[in-house]
Amino acid sequence: MLKSVARMLPNLGERINKVTGEEQDWLVRANQITKVFTTNGQGILALEEVDLTLRQGSFTSLIGPSGCGKSTLLRIVGSIETPSRGSLDQRQSPRIAFVFQDHALFPWLTVLDNVAFGLKMAGIATKERYRRSQLWIERVGLAGFERTFPNALSGGMRQRLSIARAFVTEPDVLLMDEPMGALDEQTRLLIQEDLIRLWEETRKTVLLVTHSIDEAILLGDRVVIMSRRPGRIKTILEVDLERPRSLHTMTDPRFVALKDTIISDLHDEVMASMDLR
Amino acid sequence: MTTSNNPIRDEIERSTARSRRLRQRDLALGITTPIVLLILWQAASSTNLIDAKIFTPPSKIFATALTLIHNGILTHDLLITSLRLLIGFILGGAVGVGVGILLGIFRTLRAAFSPLFAALYAVPQIAVLPLLLVIFGIGETPKILTVAAVSFFVLEINAMAGVRSIDPQLLEAGSAYGAKGRRLFWHVLLPGSLPAIFTGLRVGVALALVVVTATEFVAANSGLGYLVWNSWQLFEPNAMYVGLITIALVGVILTGIVELISRRLMPWRGRNTRD
Ligand SMILES: Nc1ncnc2c1ncn2[C@@H]1O[C@H](COP(=O)(O)OP(=O)(O)OP(=O)(O)O)[C@@H](O)[C@H]1O
Ligand SMILES: [Mg+2]
Repeated sequence: MLKSVARMLPNLGERINKVTGEEQDWLVRANQITKVFTTNGQGILALEEVDLTLRQGSFTSLIGPSGCGKSTLLRIVGSIETPSRGSLDQRQSPRIAFVFQDHALFPWLTVLDNVAFGLKMAGIATKERYRRSQLWIERVGLAGFERTFPNALSGGMRQRLSIARAFVTEPDVLLMDEPMGALDEQTRLLIQEDLIRLWEETRKTVLLVTHSIDEAILLGDRVVIMSRRPGRIKTILEVDLERPRSLHTMTDPRFVALKDTIISDLHDEVMASMDLR
Repeated sequence: MTTSNNPIRDEIERSTARSRRLRQRDLALGITTPIVLLILWQAASSTNLIDAKIFTPPSKIFATALTLIHNGILTHDLLITSLRLLIGFILGGAVGVGVGILLGIFRTLRAAFSPLFAALYAVPQIAVLPLLLVIFGIGETPKILTVAAVSFFVLEINAMAGVRSIDPQLLEAGSAYGAKGRRLFWHVLLPGSLPAIFTGLRVGVALALVVVTATEFVAANSGLGYLVWNSWQLFEPNAMYVGLITIALVGVILTGIVELISRRLMPWRGRNTRD
């Protein structure tokens, strides 16, 4: 497997050594994942020989041009999508929670019951599950909307609801697909700070797909950059910024330098993906 | 209108007042139109503008209705028809919902039965009545079965469509959060297909009424359909109108009940405040 990583990332020898050192405490590992979608007899190669390891207690940000297969990779890692080739290893069958790109909230459940859904399925008693759900409803700022149905919420509120629904289950692995995509800048900053704090308290294993470079660096232990379709891992950057972090971390020179690297990496990919059209 | 310094309370008051006003107006209009038509009818037939033998004035129809209630004919017919309708509808509908959901879930079942059912649905169910009469003889069974057949097909088709129409992402979210097998059914599949099932109930109850009336035309000596048909044969348009109006009322009441239940069971589809 390592050989193939080396083949894919010829100029990243020193990073691979790091990956080797981390082999011991992985929680989820995707090996040589290739995914082909077929629609109307046409095949779309969405992912090509992708390796991704989620270390126990690590925060991985995944960034790349639109349509490059980020959501697909996240879904494969959470095993709600099967790879065409390659395999997925999970250690200790971790409990996984999703924040879906388009929320996937249950329209027939109130805000409170949507949040409590995972706990209900886990067999938690009514009182306890409402208590815990209520806590998360307050944390994401939806207090007062417990009895509202999702179709009466704004886009940003739905997003926060879907974050609460995932966090309340206290998963081992949290897979988030652009959880802050539809939020306004202020709310986004607030929730980012919340996420930093929550993560630093709980140290869950997190995979976060995002379009925001700031967010990727600010939250992540490392940033995985994907190439345009067919998606491959182009670069993996370690974020050597100490914790606890805050929004002020964004003014750190190392942050700025990292951001610069990512911008030029992504710029090439995005330009190339435009050329393809 | 009072204005406090609480804008939320103001707006709530205003919007409830507005929707109450609109509801009352709608109700008033809904009642006024038929009354006006009745008055016009009454005037036209008592001034011989239209043939009073065929279009007997509403006052006479009303008198006939009272007589038919007094001698128990109308209530008896109403009861008989309601029983045939409800038993057939509930039996056929329940089986239809069950089968439809199964067909929606299991592709092999769907492949095996869905084309067959679609073909059978295309046969007007009333056309099967003679066959049922041959099998079961003249009795309640063939009439109830005809109603059950139409209810079955309408609900089977709608329940299947309901299951099929559930957003796959919701199924995915359901199973990602631990709803598998039976729990996925109760917590995602069933609520997700309720809207389509209720569409089926609305259509089905109306069709069931059509079918029960039609069977009573040809194969009964009781019931509202029989009342209408028999009045035609005896040329008693008054009683015929009474029968027709009663059938219409049964339809309105049943549709209303379905509507009420659907509001209760699907609160998330609450009426839009803007309507
Ligand atoms: N269910 C599917 N059927 C067919 N093609 C699909 C399916 N899901 C994804 N694809 C294709 O796979 C490719 C990758 O899709 P994916 O959703 O993973 O992209 P993404 O990186 O998440 O994009 P975005 O940032 O816009 O969300 C796209 O070209 C898409 O058209
Ligand atoms: Mg995506």
